[in-house]
Amino acid sequence: MIRRPLTVALPKGRLLARVADLLDRCGIDTSGLSAADRHLVVEGDPVRFLICRAADVPTFVEYGAADVGVAGKDVLWEAGRDVAELLDLGVGRCRMVVAVPAASPVERVSQLGFNSRVATKYPRVARRFFNGQGIQVEVVPLHGNIELAPLVGLAEAVVDLTETGRTLRDNGLRIVATVGESTARLVANPVRYKIRAQEIDELAAALKAVTASPQAGGGECADRIDRSGSA
Amino acid sequence: MNPEIAAEPAYTRRMIPRGTRDFLPPEAARKRALETALKETFSRWGYGEVITPTVEFFECLSLGDGPELVEKMYRLFDREGHTLALRPEVTTPIGRIVATRLREEPLPIRLFYVANVFRYEEPQAGRQREFWQAGVELVGALGPDADAEIVALAVRALEAAGLRDFRVDIGQVGYVNGLLEDGNLGPGGRRALRRALLRRDYVALEEALSASGLSPARRRLLAELPRLRGREEVVRKAAELADNPRSRAAADNLMAVYQALAAHGVQDRVYVDLGMVKDFDYYTGMVLEGYTPELGFPVCTGGRYDNLIGRFGYDCPATGFVVGVERLMMALDAQGSGLVPEDGMDRWLVGSTGAGRPQALAEAASLREKGFAVEVDVMGRSVPELLEYARARTVSRVVFWAGPDDRREFAAPGYGEVTKGVGL
Repeated sequence: MIRRPLTVALPKGRLLARVADLLDRCGIDTSGLSAADRHLVVEGDPVRFLICRAADVPTFVEYGAADVGVAGKDVLWEAGRDVAELLDLGVGRCRMVVAVPAASPVERVSQLGFNSRVATKYPRVARRFFNGQGIQVEVVPLHGNIELAPLVGLAEAVVDLTETGRTLRDNGLRIVATVGESTARLVANPVRYKIRAQEIDELAAALKAVTASPQAGGGECADRIDRSGSA
Repeated sequence: MNPEIAAEPAYTRRMIPRGTRDFLPPEAARKRALETALKETFSRWGYGEVITPTVEFFECLSLGDGPELVEKMYRLFDREGHTLALRPEVTTPIGRIVATRLREEPLPIRLFYVANVFRYEEPQAGRQREFWQAGVELVGALGPDADAEIVALAVRALEAAGLRDFRVDIGQVGYVNGLLEDGNLGPGGRRALRRALLRRDYVALEEALSASGLSPARRRLLAELPRLRGREEVVRKAAELADNPRSRAAADNLMAVYQALAAHGVQDRVYVDLGMVKDFDYYTGMVLEGYTPELGFPVCTGGRYDNLIGRFGYDCPATGFVVGVERLMMALDAQGSGLVPEDGMDRWLVGSTGAGRPQALAEAASLREKGFAVEVDVMGRSVPELLEYARARTVSRVVFWAGPDDRREFAAPGYGEVTKGVGL
């Protein structure tokens, strides 16, 4: 079979620098990923990188446009794509939560009124979570600035990601439930994981070794979404 | 635009439903050529074709198909109130036939099919709502020789289709099932492990393992399972690692299948993957999947399913595989290979004046008898017009009868006049 560099899809944004750091420590040349000369495709050997929107990484991998990729567990839940999940990279740790305005009387999600509106960037995850709780809500899909929705009366609650809870607090929101905890994952196309098994296993093993070391700052892995849900 | 058409959703009048497709002449011909190659291969291995109804009783189809497929069935009602469904695959209908009309037949029974199937799911990544399958079932034979035949036939069929770069992976579901039959594992723990294996979520697998009451050795083995792949040495290793009779029997069975493949001459195409996990309720033994480097999903899939026909009241083992016809076409496209459809043969265009018509039609008939594809002009075209049309349609020869005794012939690529024609 023809040999090509291993194609790795990486999410642009905050996670990119942290993942590049991990790859660096595996001895992979990531100089092409530095912000100064960033391209959509960073050619290299033995690894070439595709830089995509975080939410698109599972798509690139499922279709086989990339052999492997790095995606947050939150993204994997939402995408529901058929990819193999090889490793918890321990970076990009955040929580997916349900939050309501601080002044709201709601203390638990079960207290949300019938057909409450819930604004979110994660409509599938939100639906699955509330369905699992037997709560009927109206999910309002938005593309960003979710915190705005309750402030202007578009929604009674939000489902959103938070690292420290600060942005939510700053916008007058209060967390009432945790949907799941997310970290970045190494994912692979299931067929490529067989055809290029050795390369992918080596990459996964190298990443595992560097994430296990204290520098990565990763604690125990957290991968719990509520019993109702999983991608 | 006609206001009535504008008002009607343009969608349903001019479009086809999502997940369905039209095959136009060149593609339809390629598809037929591919199916013909597969059918011929199956026939030469002694398999007989069956054609089953597109629509069957839902109760029958759901007897064979797991909940995931049942959910994807297109369902409808007949006028007596029975629930019907479009077949989502053909193995279950074949199970029904074997358990009923072929019940008295001597075993084994070898059957094949080429059929369209229907699944209501999101069309993406190689999945369509209507798609074509070509498959075989070897019914009534237990043992590694039957499974080896299925693997060898899968390899030969893909080769016959013109696929160059591909491999077939085989596994054995008994191996992992043996590991999961553990007194220290509650039903919840077993479900979590199966689910993680099935989804290839190895992060969740490790978590479920550390939460389970399994012994450290067995945990390690299950965690390593996805990486137990390679050639014969892996089967040997798997047999050594097997710590229970069921897993050991599965490894022995896989070894026997793999060794039988050497005599079939296909061993170099075949890899072993103990971590290959497929529908737990359906497969009972060896399983297989075929891959090409270009596609991110398998081109064929199959395995042993000894319990299906029993659900129709006739206990009878079976093994088989199925090729996704459109997926195979995609792989052939990507490899720039594949069969040249038969009507890529020399094509002729015959035109005439009114006076030359009888001669033109007579020549067209005689060319057709010789095996050429012949178009007769029905547009009353002149020679320059015919040549322009021929060029656009890549017709290689043009004949024009200007009168009963006045025949002219032109040939691609320049469409210059040929003095000594081939046609007469």
